[in-house]
Amino acid sequence: MVEDLATPEAPQTGDTDAARPTLRVQGLTKRFPGVLALDDVSLEVRGGEVLALLGENGAGKSTLIKLLAGVYRPDGGTIETGGVERHFASPADGLAAGIKVVFQEIALIEEFTVAENIFLEDHLAGRFGRVAWDEIRRRAAEIFDRAGFDIDPEVKVKDLSISQQQLVEISRALAHEAKIVIMDEPTSSLTPAEVRHLFGVIERLKAMGIAIIYVSHKLEEIFEIADTCVVLRDGKWVSTRPTAEHDHASLIKDMVGREITDLFPRSDRPLGDTVVEVRGLSTATGLSDIDFDVRAGEVVGFFGLMGAGRTELAKAIVGYDPILSGEIRIAGTQLTPHDTRRGKALGIGLLSEDRKGEGLMLEASVTRNMTLAALDKFTARGFVDAAAERAQAQSFVDRFRIKLARLDQPIGTLSGGNQQKALLSRWLMFGLRTIVLDEPTRGIDVGAKAEIFALIDELAADGFAVILMTSEMPELLGLSDRIFVLSGGRITGSFDTETATQEAILDAAIK
Amino acid sequence: MPRSSSTATVRTGGAIGLLRQVAAHSEIALVVSLVVVIAVFSLASEYFLTVRNMTNVLGQASILLLIAAGVAVTLICGEVDISVGSIVAAVAIPLIAIMNVTESMTLGILGALALGLTIGAVNGYLVAYMRINALIVTLGTLFIVRGAVYLYTGKRAQADTAYLESFFALGNERLFGVLPYPALVAGVIVAALIWVMRHLRFGRRVYAVGGSAEVASLAGFDVRRIKFYCFLISATMATLGGILLASRLGAAVHTSGIGYEFQAVAAVVLGGVSLAGGIGSIFGVVLGVLILAFVANGLGMINAPTEWQQVITGLVIIAAVALDSLKKGRR
Repeated sequence: MVEDLATPEAPQTGDTDAARPTLRVQGLTKRFPGVLALDDVSLEVRGGEVLALLGENGAGKSTLIKLLAGVYRPDGGTIETGGVERHFASPADGLAAGIKVVFQEIALIEEFTVAENIFLEDHLAGRFGRVAWDEIRRRAAEIFDRAGFDIDPEVKVKDLSISQQQLVEISRALAHEAKIVIMDEPTSSLTPAEVRHLFGVIERLKAMGIAIIYVSHKLEEIFEIADTCVVLRDGKWVSTRPTAEHDHASLIKDMVGREITDLFPRSDRPLGDTVVEVRGLSTATGLSDIDFDVRAGEVVGFFGLMGAGRTELAKAIVGYDPILSGEIRIAGTQLTPHDTRRGKALGIGLLSEDRKGEGLMLEASVTRNMTLAALDKFTARGFVDAAAERAQAQSFVDRFRIKLARLDQPIGTLSGGNQQKALLSRWLMFGLRTIVLDEPTRGIDVGAKAEIFALIDELAADGFAVILMTSEMPELLGLSDRIFVLSGGRITGSFDTETATQEAILDAAIK
Repeated sequence: MPRSSSTATVRTGGAIGLLRQVAAHSEIALVVSLVVVIAVFSLASEYFLTVRNMTNVLGQASILLLIAAGVAVTLICGEVDISVGSIVAAVAIPLIAIMNVTESMTLGILGALALGLTIGAVNGYLVAYMRINALIVTLGTLFIVRGAVYLYTGKRAQADTAYLESFFALGNERLFGVLPYPALVAGVIVAALIWVMRHLRFGRRVYAVGGSAEVASLAGFDVRRIKFYCFLISATMATLGGILLASRLGAAVHTSGIGYEFQAVAAVVLGGVSLAGGIGSIFGVVLGVLILAFVANGLGMINAPTEWQQVITGLVIIAAVALDSLKKGRR
């Protein structure tokens, strides 16, 4: 089977009518109690074609992927690969039929080596189920050589970056001669450089005649990589068109069913006092000589490529990391490094890109999550006033238009955008006046993004200071009053709304 | 680890290869600890480092070794089995009863295995298929089985009246007058288990299930069946321990095995197996059992009150796990 990979088939052209689709899905339907998650969806994808699957959260993308992977079984409709109708009882059947899904949550055993993970399904076991270690190592190395991946098959997966782990997942597809690779939000945790690399890998997969289904919220990526766009909404098929026939507006319109004309509102933002002063800041995490001020009522955006120091800066200015030299003043008071409690007391806090890891208690109720930091305010003599707690939570739910059924539902059942709003509520309730947002819209769909953008604008208009760390250009340009560009831990460019252009910013970012 | 050297490991094998493997599994610290324990007590007592004493310890440790290795398998697959102490007592009853009637050790052992596997199957079914928490299930069977043993025996030891020479030898005699048979039996069986967990697809799947049941399930493994088998393995190992103990005692003693489950968990944790599943090795468990056994024996040699053994066991396992989490925290 490995020999086949040595001579990749000539790329089949997606537009040849004669070419049989690698995957054909017809009338696929999936019902969950009370919900029609997928309703009569059909699509086709051919070898060498990248098909983008788009839609807001809840549109049915995940359900469709899980049906194709064999995780769920359909209530109606058919799945054909290579012209044969397939019925999957498990993900192993999906893989056997040539479909490999690279989930957003990477499905690898962290404690195993890369090589063992690639052959996890059968371990190439011989007689009596004896694992063929030598063969596993040899074939893994072969696959990496052929695909051009620079990964040591002997290291444990837990020591790899997310992007390397994705390559391991893709290698599993190659090891099983998969003809269809489905990527679910593959770039959500990648740096820009890693995204470039992934796109290179996708081109190589195309050249091998593999069909790719690419799920992403990032429209820029879709326009760059996809040949065809399939849009779903509320579980139903909306449109299938060549990417070339789409523009931003038409895609968004298909996804949300309405035109979002004003994605980035800009209210009148009266400037207040200077609330953050950073002077000559250098840290062991790679920042050097950073200077900037932020005033109340302002959105200050920071942009940078991989390793530029965005997250490091975000952590340093809220007091998370020790500093080597320089100083940080919050509302005029010097911030002691390595003390986020002090930072919060001074009114500055960080909303990190890792919502689940840092802060959300997924099983606990929305109220509990929102009032956690400000619990003292509802506590008298050690007892929590539940009524006041709920009232406060409700006021933020109303203010931020958080969509939920009940205040006591687990926060894990809310959409990403609404979780983000709930987390933000927590810190506003606590009394923060300066919010540092690190990639606030990561993994959030277009409709919810627009709401987060509106929220950021509202915060600034209400006199909060917002420091925005982002790798998404439209977000940066659309929201920020001033922009700083980071590169190699230094500020290499600063712009205001007049001078900021994509070209100038990128130019500064690669300095 | 550089690619070339590790490939060499597999090809050359042998002493250096073994060393590398040990280092790779971070079991080197345990080996060093074991050597230190032995060295300290050798200095403290002239009777400690003698062939007789060393082999005695191996013999005494063998029953715990079997049980702990079985418990380790359940922990590696992400569950736990604390019913093993009761299994030790229970399986001796059919063993002795059948031997007393048939005068056949083989039939007796088959009877013991049948009972042990039944208990293991109940544990495994409730945990894997009914999805009841393993700690609760095996805590329940621990009480149920112990209670049943008391009820059946009327709290009296059931003496072995068949006096089979081979059965007596199993627990009490030595190969060439040196190596106690229990140590030999435990050594061979545990070595086989080490091999199964390292080199058989089944063993690797147990690790995968413990590492992430979701990933294992996506890879098409029957997670429930694998967990079920782990409980059968654990019960089988406890049964073998129970057979050796019954031979040594010459009876089915209703109180035997009390507290073994916690000694086993202590040795397993000391041996580097994670309570979270998916991490650790049976070889590490062997080292954990030996360290605890040599500490107990050494304290006896220097005439320390036996109560100290419990205190020190407690300190050792907390220290071991604390060191481990310190190491992780530093990364």
